[in-house]
Amino acid sequence: MALSKEIYRELEDIVGEEFICSDPAIMPSYHGSDLGAVVLPENTVQVQAIVKTCNRYKLQFSAVATGWTGSFKKDIVYIDMRRMNRIIEINEKNMYAVIEPYVITAELQAECFKKGLHFNVKGAGSNCSAMLRGHGHLDQSTSGDDRNHLAIEWVTPEGEIVRSGALGSTDEWFCGDGPGPSIRAILTSAVPPGVTPGVFTKAAIKLYHWAGPPKYDIQGLSPKYTLPEVPKNMMARYYSFPSVEKMWQAEIRLGENEICMELMGFNVSMVAANIATCNEDDERIFKRLNKEKKGPGFFVIIAGNSDNDFAFKKKALEQIVREAEGESMKSLEDPETEGILIAQCTRVTASIRETFRAGGAFSSIPIMSQRDLTIKWAIGAGEAKLPLIKAGHIVDDGGAFFGWGVEQGHVGKTEIFCKFDPANEKAKAAVEKWSKEQGRRAFDESYFALMMGEVSDDIKANMCHYDKWWIALTRAFDPNDVAPQGGPLV
Amino acid sequence: MIDKQKLVKIVGTGMVSDREEDLEKYSSDISFVNRVRPAYVVKPGTAGEVQKLIDLANATKTPLVPVSSGAPHFKGDTVPGNGGSIIVDLSGMKKVEFVDRARRVAMVEPGVTFEELIPLCTKEGLRLNMPLLPRKSKSVTGSILEREPVLMPGYQWDMSDPLACAGLYFGNGEEFRTGQAAGPGTLKDQWKVGAVQKAPYGPGTASLHRLIQGAQGTMGIVTWMSIRCEVLPKMQEPFFSASHDLDQLLDLMSWLIRLRMVTECFILNNTNLAAIFATDMEDYQRIKETLPPYILFYNIAGYDYFPEDRIAAYIKDIAVMNQRIGLDTGKSAGLISADGLLKKIQKPCDEPYWKLCLKGASQDIFFLTIYDHMERQIAAMKEMSEEIGYSPTDLGLYIQPIVQGTGYHCEFNLFYDPYSYTESDRVKDLSNMATKSLMNMGAFFSRPYGDEANWIFNRDAATTDALRRIKKIFDPNHVMNPGKVCF
Amino acid sequence: MGLEQYQGDVNMCCRCSACKFIPLQHVKSYDFSYVCPSISRFQFHSYSGGGRANIISAGLKNGFNYTDKFLDIVYNCQMCGACGVSCNYAMDMELQEPINELRIKCVAEGKTHPELERVIKTLKKTGAMVPVQGKRGDWAKGLDLKDATKEKVDVLFHVGCLTSYNKDMHKLARATAQILKKAKVNFGIAGDMETCCGGRAYQMGYEKEFLKQAKMNMSMIKKAGIKTVVTACADGYHAFKVLYDKYELKGDLKVLHITEYIDMLIKEGKLKPKKALDMVVTYHDPCRLGRLGEPWIHYKGKKIPGDRFVFDPPKEYRRGTKGVYEPPRDIIKSIPGVKLIEMERIREYAWCCGAGGGVNESNPDFAEWTATERIFEATATGAEAIVSACPWCEVTLSQAIEENESSLKVYDIVELVAKAL
Ligand SMILES: Cc1cc2nc3c(=O)[nH]c(=O)nc-3n(C[C@H](O)[C@H](O)[C@H](O)COP(=O)(O)OP(=O)(O)OC[C@H]3O[C@@H](n4cnc5c(N)ncnc54)[C@H](O)[C@@H]3O)c2cc1C
Repeated sequence: MALSKEIYRELEDIVGEEFICSDPAIMPSYHGSDLGAVVLPENTVQVQAIVKTCNRYKLQFSAVATGWTGSFKKDIVYIDMRRMNRIIEINEKNMYAVIEPYVITAELQAECFKKGLHFNVKGAGSNCSAMLRGHGHLDQSTSGDDRNHLAIEWVTPEGEIVRSGALGSTDEWFCGDGPGPSIRAILTSAVPPGVTPGVFTKAAIKLYHWAGPPKYDIQGLSPKYTLPEVPKNMMARYYSFPSVEKMWQAEIRLGENEICMELMGFNVSMVAANIATCNEDDERIFKRLNKEKKGPGFFVIIAGNSDNDFAFKKKALEQIVREAEGESMKSLEDPETEGILIAQCTRVTASIRETFRAGGAFSSIPIMSQRDLTIKWAIGAGEAKLPLIKAGHIVDDGGAFFGWGVEQGHVGKTEIFCKFDPANEKAKAAVEKWSKEQGRRAFDESYFALMMGEVSDDIKANMCHYDKWWIALTRAFDPNDVAPQGGPLV
Repeated sequence: MIDKQKLVKIVGTGMVSDREEDLEKYSSDISFVNRVRPAYVVKPGTAGEVQKLIDLANATKTPLVPVSSGAPHFKGDTVPGNGGSIIVDLSGMKKVEFVDRARRVAMVEPGVTFEELIPLCTKEGLRLNMPLLPRKSKSVTGSILEREPVLMPGYQWDMSDPLACAGLYFGNGEEFRTGQAAGPGTLKDQWKVGAVQKAPYGPGTASLHRLIQGAQGTMGIVTWMSIRCEVLPKMQEPFFSASHDLDQLLDLMSWLIRLRMVTECFILNNTNLAAIFATDMEDYQRIKETLPPYILFYNIAGYDYFPEDRIAAYIKDIAVMNQRIGLDTGKSAGLISADGLLKKIQKPCDEPYWKLCLKGASQDIFFLTIYDHMERQIAAMKEMSEEIGYSPTDLGLYIQPIVQGTGYHCEFNLFYDPYSYTESDRVKDLSNMATKSLMNMGAFFSRPYGDEANWIFNRDAATTDALRRIKKIFDPNHVMNPGKVCF
Repeated sequence: MGLEQYQGDVNMCCRCSACKFIPLQHVKSYDFSYVCPSISRFQFHSYSGGGRANIISAGLKNGFNYTDKFLDIVYNCQMCGACGVSCNYAMDMELQEPINELRIKCVAEGKTHPELERVIKTLKKTGAMVPVQGKRGDWAKGLDLKDATKEKVDVLFHVGCLTSYNKDMHKLARATAQILKKAKVNFGIAGDMETCCGGRAYQMGYEKEFLKQAKMNMSMIKKAGIKTVVTACADGYHAFKVLYDKYELKGDLKVLHITEYIDMLIKEGKLKPKKALDMVVTYHDPCRLGRLGEPWIHYKGKKIPGDRFVFDPPKEYRRGTKGVYEPPRDIIKSIPGVKLIEMERIREYAWCCGAGGGVNESNPDFAEWTATERIFEATATGAEAIVSACPWCEVTLSQAIEENESSLKVYDIVELVAKAL
């Protein structure tokens, strides 16, 4: 439903007529929701004005960057952040970048690589906003989630501008905490679904050293891009192990000894998806790798800052893996494949292949936490997938899960997918059932609680009534109830 | 005023004191904050008692001032802001719940000091990311809640590190556990399946541990904390690089951290390095004379796998960097050896506490800043000292990179004789003046204490307003350490 | 055919936005990361490849509602195929095809664009997509070229509307003729008998008119016994080679773009660029020579029921892999003194010049905006000239250069070759 003429005009006055639309024609491309209007602000002042207008008319709004996922209520004002896509600063000496929401990862990464820097990339891929929190392949050396934000410029749900940390006091972006308690406590930029109250208009994110080349010399034509050679002082391997326990032991030691730039606990199905250029290939490669592997495994990339550093890391890596009875999958050592995996897994450009290509949908249970604990749960969740695979409801990945190390193994992530065809009602129902059951089991057995979507009261009660505090916080900042109300995050 | 018996009922006799000398201890500290005498000092022994105290405080609108560390206190945060306050002294809560090697985490109650925790960690092959030479009585929990800078910036991924999870009671008396510890179920339920309380995020959308840090006890009382630990190295090789030119050292330091080559890493000036080692004034002079103006200290660690290779590789690489910058690296600076400093900083400070050793007191001015501004700020501080008549060469300087090199904690230590009015007035004036003018030069006072806190919060009205809204939720009756921070 | 056959494909869109950018692994800078002119210019997601897929998907389910905005979205697209290439790096689904079909559907249902209507009216009247001045064969006056409709030739040089009727572009036809002559190719032209290939009508959604042109051309070709057609226009190339094949009209006609042909002649030693030109150039891949120039794949099959979007027999997608990328580059490199520096967006993920899809006519500002982006990119390489292989690119890029007072020069590749001979 379109907004009243009066409100529409007011919003139009803010962004200009070219950048507001409520025509039904565009709605299918905005998540199929019947939005009040889509507005495209150009800067913080416009965002602030939009939010204030929304408050005045008690209109709900939602800010969105690339909008890969999410569902949005009808009649809301959808603030599409596309035009706020500037890289404000890449500060090499102080290791941070200041960006607007619609700078995508691929862009910032390209600019950072040139300076020997990089940053955490969401596993979702380089097609996503570089500014919003996330976690992914590079967490082992670049941390994840809300831990990479420094100062944030935040338009509150009421339309006030809060500049956290040093930004508010001294106009500097290097720190987002203080004075006093840190409001980063609530500025967590949750994904998905987005529940950050208000709008982030700029944020500083931490940068890390990049030991790889200033740019990859990509060869070949889509869909097969290769590197002419494995970049100097870089190496990628996939190791498989006789048991989960042994794999975890190796993970821990690699973390403690600070060996890996990336420790991605891909299952072989995801490796196959990365390499394969089409679905048929994907299936073939998966079958081959599934036979070749010894057991569960992970993919690593090591990168040396110097020849000396690389030599040490390689030696330690091989020793640690040997001790855990791990073996490198030989077919993936082929330099062409190694190159593909290095480029793809550092730029994170194959997530779409891993998730949507097969059937058009996937359902996932992701947990950021203590890796050994969540793996224990995931083994059962994987086994529970087998009947679905057998019935042909979901793509055969051997009943596997995946995950990765975070902050040199201090914490970790475990996740498990079902890939399926969303048009297949039986498959959809089976996946939903699996998801519910496994989520519930995680809670009943005290591994973790899933807090996405509808959360039952007993879970809330057993999770320190977290919801109560969040509701109180959002009420304090959003008295008119106009900001997106949040489900929590991964 | 609250009836003493009510307190006794909660914590037991002997755990409540209104004795003059006990109250006196908490009425002031080494900082310049106003003296205010508390009404009682209570020493809860369990989390349950803490909760009851908070409930009572809410019922009677009595201010509570949580304290974890033993004396001496330096920053005024534990001196009551209001009369009639109760000091909640948690230093008796000394349980170490576990030290877990594989997950690199330890869980302690707030009274556990560095001195107590370090040996337990060492036994498990772990170590703590320590602040610089905490006093013996310093609570580990207290240090982390204050967001004290840590010596190994490479392992500080986030400003909140090394906090993993915390169990606490908010100002309204409700229990909460942050991060992974939130659930499912009780801690015991979690332990049963092998969960330790490590991941800091959540539960749900918020990361509330960030609210209790830097709060100076204004949000609630922490009754346990789990702490991220690091692996104990198999081998270590510490070094000094010294220079007259601070910029050179900053340059090297930023690369050492960027490339994650070092563990402990910071800069001291000759005053502070001498003060750390000196036994008295004479000794201090003797050591200081031999030291160059600025000394960068860094330590290279080797872990379980090929520690020699790792250390050798980094020594070689650092040599190349030194050459580029034009710096020398050595195992000693004047009379001080790098090994000696390493040994010292991996433990709490021996008595007497180094900051008090020279003159009996020290006023610390510390802030966060970035590479670009630091030299200018240091120069300005020297000028101001000169102006006020505090010899700039007596200024102690400590530069600690924070959060993997994204910023720096810059600290000036103004040593003075607390019994000399002239000296203490001078230091007080200098402290006031410096805070104001450094702020205008980009210094970010992220942990504001004492009188200065007002000006600091005044600079950022929007954040202050946000914090006040938050405070209302967690401490609606304003019983938690009123008068501190911006509340 | 028709839009319905792509329902499964458009339903596959996961809204990942890959279609807006060059394939993500290739993103080398902030400045040149986008690939789709339409989303870059109009900003609403609906203008992206994915947004269009979403609109089609919803339309097929619930019916289409042709509002002004809807048509604005439909017609502000160069149909350049870049979205499809970026999408198909990761996804197995058709994207450009359903977008083409939506245009066709709009036209079939009378939801046309007035400017495009005007162009088609001209086409119907004159057999040309551009205003007609003089005669089609005027450019060849005095060159003494064979009339392929009357004489036996090995090669028909199909010149195309723009080159034939825009006097400024005559130089391209002449250069082409000069080159072919020099290599002693037995070629001819259709002269005044030549008619539009229909390719641009297709891009505009006028399938019927396209087919009419295609049939006329093929009947002339058959009648004249022509086995090989060479075009010096990327649109013409695409029409003859890909579209005629798609509609099963091409038979075994061999279709070559002039760059393929020259490249072959050079490699066979029949042509030798000798004169040094001393210039630094960059090369602009025309969309319909590059990514869209890859052969049509005739496919018939069925989705296999089950977990994946796979077909029996396996479906091969046109991902831009087999376009014409190397021949023009090889030609440029063979010219003495010419140094080729690449832009960031090249080959299968080249940025469009702006002229395609009828945008030149329906929204000239947008075409110029698109070309301006390309000019900036070319300038950033440090090259003094941008070389293309299609008159539409040359015209559009030239206009943008003039408008922006840029000192960049534009050449068609045949001009360089002719100069170097
Ligand atoms: C296939 C797939 C794989 C994924 N894998 C991972 C993964 O490995 N790791 C991971 O972390 N996530 C993962 N995700 C989640 C992913 O990060 C989100 O889907 C996210 O939406 C990606 O797009 P974006 O970053 O552009 O954010 P958007 O989709 O644009 O936004 C995400 C949410 O944040 C809110 N938001 C956006 N911009 C702003 C702003 N400026 N201010 C306030 N709120 C805003 C929005 O309301 C929205 O709901 C995955 C998602 C998919 C679909």
